[in-house]
Amino acid sequence: MSTSLQDDPVVVTGIGAVSSLGANTESLWQGVTSGTRGMGELDLFDTTSHRTKLAGQVDTDALPQQFAHMSRADRFGCTATDAAVENVPKELLRSGRTGVFFGSSTGALFEGERFLTELLKGQEGDLHSIVGLQNDGPGNAVAKQFGCGGPVITYSTACTSANVAIGAALDALQSGEVDLAIAGGADELCEITYAGFNSLRAIDSKPTRPFRKDRKGLLMGEGAGVLLLERRSHAVARGATVLAELVSAGRSCDANHVSAPDPEGRGAATAIRQALQEGDLSPNDITFINAHGTGTPHNDASESKAMHAVFGERARDLPITSTKSMVGHLLGAAGGIEAVLTVLSIQHRLLPQTAGDAPADPDLGLDVVVQEARPLPANNIAISTNLAFGGNNAVIVLRSPRPSATDARSDDAASRHQASNNGASS
Amino acid sequence: MTNDANNQVVVTGIGCLGSFGLGVEALQQALATGVATTTDVDQTSGYHRRGSATQVAKTGDLDLTPWLSEDDGRRMSQFSQHAVTCARMALEHANLTEIPSERTAVTIATAFGPGAFTERLALQVLQKGGKFASPFLFTDCVANAAAGQIAIATGARGANLTICQREAGPLLAIAQAANDLRRGRADVCLAGSVDELQPLSHAILDRFRAVARPTARNGTIEELPRPFDAHRNGYLAGEGGTMLVLEREQHATARGARILGRIGGSARAFDATAPRTGHGSGSEALAARLQERLGAQLRTIDTVISAASGARRADALEAEVLRLALPELPQVLTPKSVTGEFGGGTLGAAMLALMGADFGKPQGCTRPDPNIGIDIAAGPIRAQHILCSAHAAGGVSSWLTLSQP
Repeated sequence: MSTSLQDDPVVVTGIGAVSSLGANTESLWQGVTSGTRGMGELDLFDTTSHRTKLAGQVDTDALPQQFAHMSRADRFGCTATDAAVENVPKELLRSGRTGVFFGSSTGALFEGERFLTELLKGQEGDLHSIVGLQNDGPGNAVAKQFGCGGPVITYSTACTSANVAIGAALDALQSGEVDLAIAGGADELCEITYAGFNSLRAIDSKPTRPFRKDRKGLLMGEGAGVLLLERRSHAVARGATVLAELVSAGRSCDANHVSAPDPEGRGAATAIRQALQEGDLSPNDITFINAHGTGTPHNDASESKAMHAVFGERARDLPITSTKSMVGHLLGAAGGIEAVLTVLSIQHRLLPQTAGDAPADPDLGLDVVVQEARPLPANNIAISTNLAFGGNNAVIVLRSPRPSATDARSDDAASRHQASNNGASS
Repeated sequence: MTNDANNQVVVTGIGCLGSFGLGVEALQQALATGVATTTDVDQTSGYHRRGSATQVAKTGDLDLTPWLSEDDGRRMSQFSQHAVTCARMALEHANLTEIPSERTAVTIATAFGPGAFTERLALQVLQKGGKFASPFLFTDCVANAAAGQIAIATGARGANLTICQREAGPLLAIAQAANDLRRGRADVCLAGSVDELQPLSHAILDRFRAVARPTARNGTIEELPRPFDAHRNGYLAGEGGTMLVLEREQHATARGARILGRIGGSARAFDATAPRTGHGSGSEALAARLQERLGAQLRTIDTVISAASGARRADALEAEVLRLALPELPQVLTPKSVTGEFGGGTLGAAMLALMGADFGKPQGCTRPDPNIGIDIAAGPIRAQHILCSAHAAGGVSSWLTLSQP
């Protein structure tokens, strides 16, 4: 890493989330730290013809009405973004130097299903309902809603989508292409993916229990998780509060199977190592892990092997949790909401537990946080991992904000920014 | 990577397929004619409305056996088959028989993903019930299935990315790959675009008035894509794939590779005035963004591989942006009139413009729109410095520059 990047790291200055635990980060944090499972019987569609009935469905009545005309995924993305950027002047968002980096795996597929159902009956559906049908729907909706003029890009790498997007935002900020980046993901529940995961027998009929001895599968969720990112100098200049630093990202592919993870976790280990290398970090620097932890027997076993490959014996003492146990698996948005939760863990120095009643699976050899949320040290460096169909792996590294070695320079920058603003208005 | 010479990214291989056929030579022949190969879109499912577009640039039954085994064919969607075919073709073209597995990345753009598998799965679930969903269809119907299948087929274990940004995706994918190579994250990157167009997607595009519809002209019914033409009324929706092999120049030179072209810079921007499924009026801001990112490079451009496709507003936007960013407009080519929209045909056309190829006058372009005032170039082209442009419905624009080696 160059000196300039160390002096001016990319930082998180805003967060927003929508999940089955609520329409904001406060309800999300309160829910996950109290072990609340945001899962219940689906009523979004008729589950009679499906193998299971549970999921983490968002209560749309709790969402702000201003985005009610949008598809569910677009609405989730815009609601989460609205919270993440609440302290940013609109003219700054509307600049050509604000970008949107989003992940989504289904776009507005739920609305697409409704439209197709009408077509099959020989009737015309509501064309407006599918303007966000393609996977770039949520990212485009956010960019349009907030008037961003910079790069807008959607990654669709299944369950790693949002982590990939956050890594791309990091690149764009480090290269100076943008000054502000809205990064994360949004996805919605729909029948096709629900039936698809059921066809793989990957969905548990009971609340999911990642890393537990009795785990049987995942539960799907929906929602969004969004970070507002900028270089620290930019944040300081505009008086923003730094919540965490986004240090680095890593990506790899198993090149092994279209849907199953590499049994030895080699690809995941490669992505973690790449993220550590790009962040000039060693495995010993990591203080906790927000894991992919879907709750399927294969995923959790593979992921634990990746952790052992990277962290060695330390994997047994490194606190690890899966917040999917409470919000479900948000697919393309999983990395987004898990990044938000990792930032909240850093802020509150508290790692939520992995919900479940059975003991952690001893065969995994991990220090899974069970029973209750665990206090963390004052300074943390965390990884958040996501693994996906296609053998896709993506990892991001977040850390506690460091006192700047260049605070004086930052103060200067703030003074210049202030002077510049004064000059512009006079 | 700090040394500029080490950071040059070059193209060393191309693989492509489309309605024009299989391979670069087939594309070259099609571009020379200026005529798209089209077929009647299958309307038997009843998705189309009366008066809708009837033509599509489908790939048809291509003989993929040189590139795919029977086993490959059985376990993949057509979408993935096409992606793997293009990737293997590009690697062979680059004379890369063995790739550095951990250091090879894959970056694919797709607008629709595996449409046929998705539609079949949707019909199983919606008509029969969720319990009838096929796990085989499900695992190969995610957007990143093709990138994953390329990784499995070639052993590429580096970053494996799929970008969904409609018409702007192919250029974004090349820019993404170049960025990863310049940052030293990979030594080789397979990058490009794949799309599969099903009747359902075609019928939805038609409802949004995106595709060219039949019109009566000179006593006959015509349905042609007419880039920059006064009578344009939509694009020709197509499918296919284009994959390029990208490497840092030092890596390519060290292994004695033939360098076909050089990736220059890239730019991207969003036009928030655009409706969700159309194009906006923000040409000044887009041009400013393009100039900000590629300023000096724009002065050397001698050829534009244009985004123009025959879409009514998108072509006007393209012309406005080009005129603002390149006041002395160089020769402009519109290969989408031959390849159709989607499938990355413009990437192949751009490479052929660098390598020296004939470009025929687009068949449907007989009366240039006076409000646009761009005459499409034709004849033998040997470009030195190319600007490729793309404007996606919904507001995303992307640009890429390519140069002679």
